Amino acid sequence: MTTQPTRAGEVYERIAANVQRVVRGKPDVVRLAVAALFSEGHLLIEDVPGLGKTTLARCLARSIGGTWNRIQFTPDLLPGDITGVQVYHQHGEEFVFHPGGVFANVVLADEINRGTPKTQSALLEVMSEQRVTVDAVRHDVPRPFLVIATQNPIEMAGTYRLPEAQLDRFLMRLRMGYPSLEAEVMVIISDRAGVDPDELPAVVDIPTLQTAVAEVRGTRIDTALVRYAATLTAATRQYADVRYGASPRGSIALIRAAQGLAATHGREYVTVDDIKQVAHPVLDHRLILTPDAELRQRGAADVVADLLAKIPVPVAGAAGA
Amino acid sequence: MRTRTCWLLAASAVPGLLFAPVFGLRALVLPVVAVLVACWAAVELCERLPALRPARPALAFLLGLLALTGVSLPHTTFHGLPTVDGVRALVAGFTDSWQLTLQSTWPVRPEPELLLFVPLLVLFAAMAGIELLRWPAVAVLPSLVLVALSQAFVAVSGVWAALVALGYAAAVAGLLSSRAARGAVVPTVALCLVAGVAGAALGPGPAFSLRDSRSAPAALPRAASPLSEVATRLSNPDEVVFSHSGGVPVDRWRLVVLEDFDGVTWTPPDRYHRLGVGIGPPPEVTVPTAAHSARLTVAGSGPWLPSQAMPAAVDGVAPLVDRTTGALLAPDRAGPVEYELRWWAPEVDPERLRDSGLSTDVVPGGLGIVPPGVADLARTATGGARPTFRTALVLEQYLSREYRVATGADLPTGSGWPQLRDFLLETRRGTSEQFAAAYVVLARIVGIPARLAVGYRAPRPPAGGPVVVRNRDVLAWPEVAVTGVGWVPLDPAGAAGGDDSARSPLERVTAAARAGLPPPDRLPDPPLPPPTTSAEPGPGFDLPRLVPLVGLGLLALLAVAVLAVPVVKAVRTWRRRRLTGTRGVVAAWCEARDLLRAHGAPVTPGMTARDLAAVADRSVVDGLHRLAAGLDVALWSGAGAGGGDVAAAWSAVREIRRALARRPVGARLRAVFAVR
Repeated sequence: MTTQPTRAGEVYERIAANVQRVVRGKPDVVRLAVAALFSEGHLLIEDVPGLGKTTLARCLARSIGGTWNRIQFTPDLLPGDITGVQVYHQHGEEFVFHPGGVFANVVLADEINRGTPKTQSALLEVMSEQRVTVDAVRHDVPRPFLVIATQNPIEMAGTYRLPEAQLDRFLMRLRMGYPSLEAEVMVIISDRAGVDPDELPAVVDIPTLQTAVAEVRGTRIDTALVRYAATLTAATRQYADVRYGASPRGSIALIRAAQGLAATHGREYVTVDDIKQVAHPVLDHRLILTPDAELRQRGAADVVADLLAKIPVPVAGAAGA
Repeated sequence: MRTRTCWLLAASAVPGLLFAPVFGLRALVLPVVAVLVACWAAVELCERLPALRPARPALAFLLGLLALTGVSLPHTTFHGLPTVDGVRALVAGFTDSWQLTLQSTWPVRPEPELLLFVPLLVLFAAMAGIELLRWPAVAVLPSLVLVALSQAFVAVSGVWAALVALGYAAAVAGLLSSRAARGAVVPTVALCLVAGVAGAALGPGPAFSLRDSRSAPAALPRAASPLSEVATRLSNPDEVVFSHSGGVPVDRWRLVVLEDFDGVTWTPPDRYHRLGVGIGPPPEVTVPTAAHSARLTVAGSGPWLPSQAMPAAVDGVAPLVDRTTGALLAPDRAGPVEYELRWWAPEVDPERLRDSGLSTDVVPGGLGIVPPGVADLARTATGGARPTFRTALVLEQYLSREYRVATGADLPTGSGWPQLRDFLLETRRGTSEQFAAAYVVLARIVGIPARLAVGYRAPRPPAGGPVVVRNRDVLAWPEVAVTGVGWVPLDPAGAAGGDDSARSPLERVTAAARAGLPPPDRLPDPPLPPPTTSAEPGPGFDLPRLVPLVGLGLLALLAVAVLAVPVVKAVRTWRRRRLTGTRGVVAAWCEARDLLRAHGAPVTPGMTARDLAAVADRSVVDGLHRLAAGLDVALWSGAGAGGGDVAAAWSAVREIRRALARRPVGARLRAVFAVR
């Protein structure tokens, strides 16, 4: 088995290097974000304000040489602003479709929980269908299509929490977390040096990205790992503190995300560490805990961590060692 | 490698030399050193010629056998080269010598046929240890097994136990002082010392011997009882049987002692062992003893050799011996033999002998069905007195006084109840055979422990020449067991005695005791011994002896429990090291995981090597990451793992082990004995 970096690995290196010129001290988050990109999955970045959610999304969008749109969700944002509308043209005496914000390779949905449920639903439909239907006419969004949404978990007044069923559409939910002291110093210096996300060059063109995505789809994954991922997901459904566990879509997401992560490491195969590393981003937002567990301040992350510690990791073809 | 080999050979030599109480140190040193030097030569040869390395065990084995043949079996070689006889002797050393050793009195004669199994065991232990040197803690095990075996043969105790433990501990510490096994040094040395001190606490005597529980009597040849030949011999009186010469007068020589009587035949006990270098006086003889010797030349054939009651050693032949009767047996004797006999004789004064009690430890033999009238006769003969040595003398005098010795051609024969009843109640005439047999049965009826000896009286010694014993001197006599003195021969037929110059020291004392005996009607019943205060009924065990035994048992249990953990771990590691391919890499990971768990790392079933690296000590992180990389390729890439991958994984484990070896001694000790 080759140990040379794969094409997807090279693509990751280029994007990561570009993004990290602005987003300092968060290599793991950047890696997971690119893994989601490789897996053709959408990304929800959730954390308190000021940690660089939007910056990361902007950097990622700018690094890819395709089109990108930023949609700032507000209560008065309409579904038509997302999907586009049919406008009557007097000259041609016809209805012409004016595409909305989702018609781009990378869509940055900022503060998605500030939009109304109706607007959110319009976006979420596009995320799963990858097309828009207006007046019975289907309009496909460009490929690749990646939605990077951000939301603020505090200041809940005037916001509309995303329903769990719709959260399931996101491949991963990432939390930025506070940077370390060193990283924060670097952030301040880079801000003072005037590195603007919008000035970042595109380092990967769309065909190259699509080649990498195709390669990631072919990343080898052992049956034992598939079974492990399924066991992990199934265990969330039997856990005492969980009211609704992850669905089979969660298992699929786990495998796809692990393949994406393996590609960022330049590997052509998935390891158990890949699955464990993506378990929290993939599963945490798919679990609905019991009220009792929530009263005990127990989070979905605790549940997943507990399962990761308890479920034995597989050792393919090595029984008896 | 060379230093560790030296320590290993030293550790193998110690248990070999622990057989010294059986063979004597001098006899053991040369063969043991020879096989160890051969092993060293094999190792050195393989170091210099790496091509020979795969054949190292065979090379060590061959060189060891050659050295052993040269040192212990030179008579089987042809100009220094081994022969078929030598091979046969070595095979017998594997199969028979340890059994022959158990059949012998100790210390045994240092003959190759008995000794060979010790250097062979040392050779095997050294060979196995050398092959296991990669794991020094495991390499100790063969020598440890040999220690256990030597202690099963005869356990050292007292100061020797402590010294041996120190020696072994030093050798093992040297062996384990390599970096990989340094963690096992302290517990191993500590255990050796504890075992030694425990052995020392048991006292000076042998604590245990396989010979006690696995005594192996030699097979008794089919031979006519000398008792049945008494009359035959008397009918051919001038035939020379044997001659003897020595410094001390001897009045009789025994051939066999008969203890069991079923009413028809008298049979000797079946407790013969090979006579070793020498045996001391029996433990029941508490009076001082003196050593005497004589040179005997025995004519004719037959298995029985003339002997004394307490033989010490025999030079010239290698007979079987019954330590309780002193009888010597040469099963394969087909012609005349000449040998020197040394024996112990008790030294006791007549008054003390006369006042002695009879041994209560001896179980009187059988009597068969006693004919009517004989029991009354026994009580009449002893005056109804309590059984003491005086009573025994009174019974002897009664027979001497009331019965006649038969002479001439028509001699009575037989010593079963029909003949004895005729002798005692009707004819009152018999040979020494009837006198002795009658004495023994009468004595047993009144409770005197007695047995029947058959041999020869010694005629008066001629001036300046050997004493020639002929058929006419054949004699049967009874012996009674006297407390502290042993078996004292009596002479109810009055046929053994000449004048004082022909009597042995014990016979002279017995004659003096006999002379000072009061008349039978004024024979006082000796006073009863004072009642002992400890005779009250107790729980049935001796507490002061029980406490150290229980302590030792607990100590042994503790040692086993403590040792079991590192031993099981070592075996587990050994088994893991044998795995190949993907399983080999996973085994390396399991080994690293268990090592870290033993050192306190919080390991869970869901942990990968990288997870463990995240929570483990920083010193082992590199090794764990290398291991994780190897695991990823072996398990998930689909390419599997080759020999190089397995070696790399175990190299990472060694790196982790080295990092852990830098931890404090206490932490390492806890890890060695941690159950997981």
